[in-house]
Amino acid sequence: MRDGKPIITVEQVRKSWGAFTALKDVSITFREGEVVCIIGPSGSGKSTLLRTINRLEKQDTGRIVVDGIELDNDLKHIDAVRAEVGMVFQSFNLFSHKTVLDNITLAPRRVRKWSKEKATQVAFELLERVGLSAHAHKYPAQLSGGQQQRVAIARALAMQPKIMLFDEPTSALDPEMVNEVLLVMRDLAKSGMTMLVVTHEMGFAREVADRVIFFDHGNIVEESDNPQQFFSNPSHPRAQAFLSQIKHAS
Amino acid sequence: MLNKLKDRDSLILVGSVFCLALILWLLALPLSWVPAPIGPAAHQFADAAITTIELTIWSGILGILLGVVAAIGKLSPIPPVRWIADLYVWVIRGTPLLLQILFFYGLSNTAPQLQAPEFWIGVIALSLNVGAYNAEVIRAGINAVARGQVEAARSLGLNSMYTFWDVVLPQAVRISLPPLANNLVALLKDSSLAYTIGVVELTMIYTRVQAESFQPVPVSITTGLVYLVLTTTFTQFASALERKLATGKR
Repeated sequence: MRDGKPIITVEQVRKSWGAFTALKDVSITFREGEVVCIIGPSGSGKSTLLRTINRLEKQDTGRIVVDGIELDNDLKHIDAVRAEVGMVFQSFNLFSHKTVLDNITLAPRRVRKWSKEKATQVAFELLERVGLSAHAHKYPAQLSGGQQQRVAIARALAMQPKIMLFDEPTSALDPEMVNEVLLVMRDLAKSGMTMLVVTHEMGFAREVADRVIFFDHGNIVEESDNPQQFFSNPSHPRAQAFLSQIKHAS
Repeated sequence: MLNKLKDRDSLILVGSVFCLALILWLLALPLSWVPAPIGPAAHQFADAAITTIELTIWSGILGILLGVVAAIGKLSPIPPVRWIADLYVWVIRGTPLLLQILFFYGLSNTAPQLQAPEFWIGVIALSLNVGAYNAEVIRAGINAVARGQVEAARSLGLNSMYTFWDVVLPQAVRISLPPLANNLVALLKDSSLAYTIGVVELTMIYTRVQAESFQPVPVSITTGLVYLVLTTTFTQFASALERKLATGKR
């Protein structure tokens, strides 16, 4: 998958809040079909990078091009990019007043202008895929965290995105529910989806990632095309310290 | 359990509307059994109760619409729109309702083109009044919708209009419902001030019957009891609606 053509180009992107700089002139390219895991300590800028790619945060300087569309101030460009890029959040963010089915069909109907029948059919296919077709008519609050996150993945996939962003998708879950979400993500990775995953699940990263990026203090300090090697023998001292802390904890 | 509870709420919803209709239809009957001065005026009380409810329902509906518009205005990114909404809420909440009713009555008498039945002058003044209070409630409700809900909607490619109508407003209304219901009950009581411009509602009947009979105590107690019956059906309706709309929250 490392030979896919570039689908996201990030050039010299900087983002700060007051005196705090989350991204310090970060440049990186992501290729079609690639699964990239982004790791690093909290506040190192990994989530901010993800959020600039679909303009939930606007970069201060620098350039981002997604699937040939430049993320400038043109609202049409921003909406077009967002329609191609699915996002899964740490806190699921399902629409609490809508059923599972309505959560999934809303955007395809409004943005893609699909008929209700088509949107519903696609929604059930996706629910089948994440193993939740029996829960279509429930409200998010009636589901467990793991189930909610799987619905959130189905909701993002319903837009048939070219790229999926995962922002710590398992961090808010009870330990026994982490696996069911990782299983769905593993499946998605196998299907050839371009995935950018901010995660603390090192086992998942090691197994699924084509590339691992390590963030520290707003910079990419290490990048590896060989996750096995990266996890067993990282070269940057910050990555070494971080990974040993994590190993220590688990 | 959940289904049973929801069914009970539906029953209360339908039941309270049915009760209100029944009360308005049959009110004259029990009142006619009461000795003078109430009995002979039973039909006047019954007709006036209908007028009071009509005033409340018309002003209530228009007041919600005004409240939504003013709340959106208050949150508008365009400064002049915000100023107009702020001015409206400031003036209405800072002056007595009685004065507002008298103002619109006076205004309608300044030119023949502005002439309108007292009932509709009352509706205009009451809905502008309750609209200002609703605006604050709905604005607070909009602000209380979790930020992640908006981010999820935007990340799916929904534009700001769809995000507002499909995601933010329904949740804001649900959050605002208890205080909105309070405002509606307050409106029912405030509608009594319309008697000053000649609307023949409950308080007007009080003044008439007590003036004829010189028995203010039994007449005011009767009027108060009719108001109590009406406000009670309203609060029952509102709390059942609130529980029903809270479904997704559980």
